[in-house]
Amino acid sequence: MISMMRKRGASQTKKAALVLLACSLLFTACSSNSKPEASSGTNAGTSKERVTLKIEVFDRGNSPAGSTITDNYLTKFVQQNFGDPNNIDVEFVPVPRSEEVEKLNVLMASGSNVPDIVFTYDPNTFNRYATQGGLTDVGPLLDEHAPNLKAFLGDDVLGYGQFQGTQFAVPAIRSIVGKYASFIRQDWLDKLSMPVPQTTEELYNVLKAFKEKDPSGTGGQVIPLGMTIASAQYEPLIWSFIKPTTEEQKYTLMQQLGSNDYPTLLPGFKEGLQFMNKLYNEGLMSKDFGLDKDKKKLGEDVSNGKIGFFSEDDINPFYDKGSYDVLQQNVPGALLASVDVYTNEEGKHAKPMYAPNGLYIMIPKSSERSVEAIKYLEWMATGDNLFKMQNGVEGENYTMVDDIPVTVENQTEEAKNRLYNSGDMAIISNGKQLGSMEKNLKARELQMPKKFQDQVAAAQKVANSDVIPPVLMDRPIEAQTKYATTLLDKFNEMIVKTTMSKPEQFESIYETMLKDYMASGGQAILDERTAVYKEMLAK
Amino acid sequence: MNAKGRGAASSLRVNRLHKEETAVSLNAYFRRYWQLYALLVLPLAYFIIFKYGPMYGIQIAFKDFNFFQGIMGSEWIGLEAFKEVFGMRDFYLTLRNTLMLNFLDLLVSFPAPLILAIMLYEMRTLWFKKLSQTILYIPHFISWVIIGGIVYQVFGTQSGMINNLITSMGFEAIPFLTDKNDWLITYLLVGMWQSAGWGTIIYLAALTGINKELFEAAGIDGAGRFKRIWHITLPGLKSTIVVLLIINLGHMISIGFERPYVIGNLAVREYSDVLSTFVYRIGLQSGQYTLATVVGLFQAVVGLVFVLGANYASKKLTDESIL
Repeated sequence: MISMMRKRGASQTKKAALVLLACSLLFTACSSNSKPEASSGTNAGTSKERVTLKIEVFDRGNSPAGSTITDNYLTKFVQQNFGDPNNIDVEFVPVPRSEEVEKLNVLMASGSNVPDIVFTYDPNTFNRYATQGGLTDVGPLLDEHAPNLKAFLGDDVLGYGQFQGTQFAVPAIRSIVGKYASFIRQDWLDKLSMPVPQTTEELYNVLKAFKEKDPSGTGGQVIPLGMTIASAQYEPLIWSFIKPTTEEQKYTLMQQLGSNDYPTLLPGFKEGLQFMNKLYNEGLMSKDFGLDKDKKKLGEDVSNGKIGFFSEDDINPFYDKGSYDVLQQNVPGALLASVDVYTNEEGKHAKPMYAPNGLYIMIPKSSERSVEAIKYLEWMATGDNLFKMQNGVEGENYTMVDDIPVTVENQTEEAKNRLYNSGDMAIISNGKQLGSMEKNLKARELQMPKKFQDQVAAAQKVANSDVIPPVLMDRPIEAQTKYATTLLDKFNEMIVKTTMSKPEQFESIYETMLKDYMASGGQAILDERTAVYKEMLAK
Repeated sequence: MNAKGRGAASSLRVNRLHKEETAVSLNAYFRRYWQLYALLVLPLAYFIIFKYGPMYGIQIAFKDFNFFQGIMGSEWIGLEAFKEVFGMRDFYLTLRNTLMLNFLDLLVSFPAPLILAIMLYEMRTLWFKKLSQTILYIPHFISWVIIGGIVYQVFGTQSGMINNLITSMGFEAIPFLTDKNDWLITYLLVGMWQSAGWGTIIYLAALTGINKELFEAAGIDGAGRFKRIWHITLPGLKSTIVVLLIINLGHMISIGFERPYVIGNLAVREYSDVLSTFVYRIGLQSGQYTLATVVGLFQAVVGLVFVLGANYASKKLTDESIL
């Protein structure tokens, strides 16, 4: 018995790869092949027969009591307002948020219970499905059934859903494209009578002062710069070291791993790492940052008043019971100010921004409900349906002030629970859509706790200034699809190892790591991007 | 095994007695022993469903697997995927790490339950023995994810319990989790802590099989505690040790996913990246099931060679074997 149990533990992965897949694939082989052309417009509007439309939904495990992720206020809202009038049963298929790609891969391969609408944030997953011919061409469907949706998204966003000229996905639109801001303990600066740092150099001096003078008396526990191995913390720092890039360099030397562009090969990247190495070795940075992938430790340290300065997604620290809120409870008088510090050669506070699209919404080729699926998205983009899904009930969830829905304070439990999954249900838009960027930003500001709204506004301003737009290649880079996961790991490893190395070993570790990175797919991406860029020039 | 043996013996006897009435006697035989066969059904079903059924999927290793065409619909590509895997640097790195971690684990974690079991066996105060056994078993039932959390809290460089203690005494913090050599020791010790107690069970069971009179006789002849352990306990456990060793050697090439994945981190990836995390990354995360299957198949084949080799060696050396 014991030997069997050990065996089971030891061959866990093999089981995951083989058992799960192979078993489920037995069904795929039959089911998906028997209906090779899941034709689109055959029986759509004409038949009166009630059909079922299956839609993926992210499960974050945060359903309040009385609701489940597949049965809650919004699922009922969808059923009543879209399903019932169109004679459709809407069924939601939960996928855990933290492993959406893995689960989606297994779901797609199983063929048996694939939802009619699936989505992912990962462009490489989208490209992979498109390459393997598993997606419905939604171009004609959009033309025929979805005028509102097309107008809502616009050509620019729709372009992100094209694969070699064919519209294989409906990309969601992003209402706010700013990403990162930085935050500093204003009360510490005041105590040391130092001004807010304006450049990277000034920041370095402030960090040193934080460490040496320990303004809050943590007893040597102070962490001047809060760092993690998540992009929100290291990207603003590293990108500020990237030298001004030419058009050609942008296209050829960047490496898109997942949804972000990475500057591995751009001039200046090494200097960025070197700066991190310096901060680390002088004890100015979180020592265990390499272990903190999910920013949990960072949040803890901020709340406990140990951290003097850090970068983060612009509004993240300001949520109700978020890190700033808790910090104020733990350390009376603590003040966090939104600032823009890291400066590049040109004196700009350069930092990445989001692409204008969010989720890639896809319809698997095997789906027989592609028309209904598009109609669902069209319904969401029509009238005030999206607005209602994002804002709830007027008077209970929000009140209108100057055309902007303002979240009602002290909502009833019932009202609060209405919108807990709104972001994952209103899939066609990432963030609230109110017609203009200013309004979108204002609305987001107003939904945060009142006492922090000034700092939220400042942070949003920071996040949207001097931004570096992502680069969209003419056609998908196959090598990126293939190597992205591995290379992202290597990229992060490179940051951790070079930062933590002794200064005299920096050079050799950097060289080894870069060589390994290039050999593990970095070179293949570089070659392919260079080739595509040449094609683009030739056009 | 037992059931089969007895069944075969009795069927022989039955056959000899009623040669001309085979049909009737077979009927009677089944009526008499059907429970034994019924008992066999579940284990057999387990092996067929979970061990043999999935072998159908091995062909993925030789195909350019396409999600949407399924296994049958995907194209054959021969050994191309094998070439690709054997050309990957990460494959050799993870293979080395797998063998290294397993080998060190064998050195550290294999003798631990044996020593622990003998110590427990020698214990005379019953309530204390039972209490220690229970406490020793507990870690086995804690999930690795939780152990990972505990490990970070205890061994962290900046805020870990142990390092807080060390730095408060004025010494330099030890990077238990971020220096690769320190990490290796942490990894091995945590593994031992988790598995040693549970591992004693099989030895304790074997120990109950040793005739108590041997100990008494040895005592009367003047053998001390260590002499008795050396000359009676250990020889009594020899076959159990060999069987467990063979099983362990068979798993040299395969490694659990949770432990290296949860305890490992980017700073020590040079050591913590193993075949199972490699398969997870290229298979489930990157969707390259063909490559993942190749690695899985490779592990299975090498594992088989290891088991057969260890078994053969043990037969030659000690006359003990399991096949």
